[in-house]
Amino acid sequence: MRLTGLVVVLAGWGLAMSGLFVSSSNVARALFACAGIAVSGFGILGILNKYYLARALWKK
Amino acid sequence: MKNRTKGCKALLALWAMTGFLGLALPLMAADAPAVTLTDKDLTGISAPKTDDIAAKGDPGAEMTGTVADVAVADAKKGLTLADMANQIGQNKVAINFVWTLICGFLVMFMQYGFAAVETGLIRAKNANHTIMMNFMVYGLGLFAYWVCGFAIQMGGVAPVANLGGLYPLNSEYTATLFGKSWGLFGTKGYFLSGSTYDVGVMVMFLFQMVFMDTTTTIVTGTCAERWKFAAFCASTIPLAAITYPLFGNWAWGCGWLSALGTNFGLGHGYCDFAGSGVVHSVGGITALAVGMQLGPRIGKFNRDGSPNVIPGHDLTMVLLGCFVLAFGWFGFNPGSTLGASGNGALRIGSIAVNTMIAGMTGSFAALLYMWIRYGKPDASMAGNGLLAGLVAITAPSGFVNPLASAIIGWIAGILVCLAVEFFDRVPKVDDPVGAISVHGVNGLWGVISVGLFADGRSNYGGSWNGVAGGVKGLFYGDAGQLVAQLIGVATLVGVIFALSFIFNWIIDVVVGHRVSAKVEMAGLDIPEMGALAYPDFQLKASDYGTPSQSAAPASVK
Repeated sequence: MRLTGLVVVLAGWGLAMSGLFVSSSNVARALFACAGIAVSGFGILGILNKYYLARALWKK
Repeated sequence: MKNRTKGCKALLALWAMTGFLGLALPLMAADAPAVTLTDKDLTGISAPKTDDIAAKGDPGAEMTGTVADVAVADAKKGLTLADMANQIGQNKVAINFVWTLICGFLVMFMQYGFAAVETGLIRAKNANHTIMMNFMVYGLGLFAYWVCGFAIQMGGVAPVANLGGLYPLNSEYTATLFGKSWGLFGTKGYFLSGSTYDVGVMVMFLFQMVFMDTTTTIVTGTCAERWKFAAFCASTIPLAAITYPLFGNWAWGCGWLSALGTNFGLGHGYCDFAGSGVVHSVGGITALAVGMQLGPRIGKFNRDGSPNVIPGHDLTMVLLGCFVLAFGWFGFNPGSTLGASGNGALRIGSIAVNTMIAGMTGSFAALLYMWIRYGKPDASMAGNGLLAGLVAITAPSGFVNPLASAIIGWIAGILVCLAVEFFDRVPKVDDPVGAISVHGVNGLWGVISVGLFADGRSNYGGSWNGVAGGVKGLFYGDAGQLVAQLIGVATLVGVIFALSFIFNWIIDVVVGHRVSAKVEMAGLDIPEMGALAYPDFQLKASDYGTPSQSAAPASVK
């Protein structure tokens, strides 16, 4: 789960960077960057944090 | 009436004469033959007699700082034009050295502010532990940064004109990918040895070191009241030695982010004047990575997930700490010109005012938000609003005007309140001091705001990151700059988070991040540090774990 989360976080950065090579339009590059940030954010809060929340002390 | 007419005529005559002189004098001056100065002309300049100064002193400052004080290369030759030119150059660099060092000292003093804010916001039973983390982060961070952090970050930054060139720092490791050169890390300056034993390099080291230390101290706030001291020590080292320096190199050390302008035509590349991203976001994002792994304090959340209020033990210390931080920020932002003379560095006044204004509007906005939402003007959030405004203006401070600073600070003040509520209620990451919201979230906002509000009026030697002209954001016609800033945000959220997470995951496996529940309930001062911060006071046991009376997050209350 944690490894998956890390891969998703890094994939978000990869997506943002790929925009630089896919298009020379600023709008397209900005969309790629925003999508990448969203994917990384999902990896952090949606996967990694969920893993730790499931084991949180206050749930026991 | 006659007198008035005469007066008018006289005024008109005067005006005409002034106009004539204004037009004619420059033309006359242009026709005047050029005067050639030689070394001989300098021999006639007389110096005050030392006997006079010895006998009378110089209370009017008329005999101190004269031609006698200009260093002469060859005493037999006497004063030459070359001596004068060298003295002018040295004066410029001396002004810049002194400015940068004093600003560095101010930033170092911010450690006091962070220690006061963090210690004030936690319970008395953990005060020794928390202030010791803030104290030791200075030494641990400095050690790691001296060994390799500085070299990784700044080893290839040369030339830096304001500090005399810094030519020993001339080696950046680069990779060539897709036909572009990507600066990855510096390779000179380990242990400040070899040719980096240089006066300019030392100034740069001191200034950059205190910035790095700000980053490392952000994490201790989020992780307070449950972090093993040994794990804290272990966690600080990779942050100061690798994670921070890497992003610092990419943004400030001639790395690939700063080259997004020259390589991909994205404005002036990633621009972060004083470190909303480099310093504050790196600290806030690392705090998030460690805070998630640590988990919330016992009693912070109920079984149904609702948050409880865990108030700090000294609100006066918190607000005094905020004042100290606001004072130190005048070193942080204006000092990032690395000088006060040459290359547009006179903009320091504008940068200082921008810093002031954003802090003020941030504090106002947070105060008003809390007052309207919860019915009371919350003191700790007014302080966090001030810090949020300061964090957000850190990146754009050198590129924007005062009105934009006010807007950036105002948005930051609202954003910090929303972010504190969000982290308490949705991902349930316990952050006793709100560091993730203040530094992480508002650091990212500061980075983005450069891409929106930079007005193109700054001119630091004619170019920035190798791209000619002033930095312009989207609202001033350069959408590419916003894209460069978004790539910076993606790198912070993607790469820096991942690095911090991995390092701290390893530490969790080897050392273990969290103290036992028994230690946490007792307070960390005795079990972890061996002494109470307040031994003469009777500490009242806290009874958390019951539903809160209000839905307001703990950091807010």
